[in-house]
Amino acid sequence: MSEGIWLWLTFIAIGSTTLLTRGSFIMLGEKARLPNALHRALRYAPAAALAALVAPDILLDEGSLQPFNPKFAAALVVLFFALRSRNPWLPFIFGMGLLILMRKGFGW
Amino acid sequence: MNTAFRLGAREGWRDFLPMSLGLVPWAVVTGIAMRSIGLSPIEAMGMNLLVYAGTAQLGTLPLIATGAPLWLIFLTAMVLNLRFVIFSAALAPAFHGHAWSRRARASYLLVDGVFAVGSEKMLASDDPEWRWGYFIAPSAWAWCLWQSCVLLGALGAEVIPTDWSLEFMVTIALMLMMIPMARTRPMLVAALAGGLGAVLLRELPLRLGLFAGIAIGIAAGFAAEHWQQRRAGA
Repeated sequence: MSEGIWLWLTFIAIGSTTLLTRGSFIMLGEKARLPNALHRALRYAPAAALAALVAPDILLDEGSLQPFNPKFAAALVVLFFALRSRNPWLPFIFGMGLLILMRKGFGW
Repeated sequence: MNTAFRLGAREGWRDFLPMSLGLVPWAVVTGIAMRSIGLSPIEAMGMNLLVYAGTAQLGTLPLIATGAPLWLIFLTAMVLNLRFVIFSAALAPAFHGHAWSRRARASYLLVDGVFAVGSEKMLASDDPEWRWGYFIAPSAWAWCLWQSCVLLGALGAEVIPTDWSLEFMVTIALMLMMIPMARTRPMLVAALAGGLGAVLLRELPLRLGLFAGIAIGIAAGFAAEHWQQRRAGA
């Protein structure tokens, strides 16, 4: 992990994206418009980015494709509770619960 | 403070209040997640104040933890925050004519929930003071609630044993943000293609597989949308 001044520079860099994106059109005012095609393409960016971050973590085991691993099982439980319940805590409780049980209980 | 501002503030706060409670678990989890990769409570709260965007915070944690290069972390945060460009473009007319300092504050405070609940009323009102009150009151409330609950999580993380694989909470949180997005067919296609692309291209140098996956996902979502419209038109 980055340490000290680099860590804080990293936070500032991440924070600048918050201001740049949220402020983009609010700061520019009426002068600018977002082109329609770009607007539609941008809608897909967050879902694609979140999936690209999540999928390698749950599908890979030490660098190779291995769907039968504790994290993938926990992810299925998370998916189940996220679709079935409106309680935002349940996916965390059951997902983490299964992962801890499999790793510590069964030493997977 | 004039009457229009106060009326707007009261109405904005009342509209947002029920939804704002949904921030609580997110904030607590974000606090715990930041500690799980080894940030101190001060570092965690520093990140929380500087970034103030849950998705970008959670999404960059795995990259910070593995010591990824700064440009990669920056680009990932940018992509995760891109939806705010859309929100910003949609809300810009409501801030027209307001002072620079107000627009700067709005740029820091604009969050998904306030946009989702309030954008329609904000754009419909023709009183600038009412609009400012209607925006800033719930936004300030969201900020206070978020900061205090993240602090709670960041301090509470002390009591959780370190061998509980807590870093997986980041993955769960990212999944929970993604699942409601993937309700429409093209969005689901974008997510599946993005995830699969990132897995298959993981060997690319400099973690470019992440961006290749995102680009594939956006292209696939866009293509699915076109295909769906063509079918609906036929």
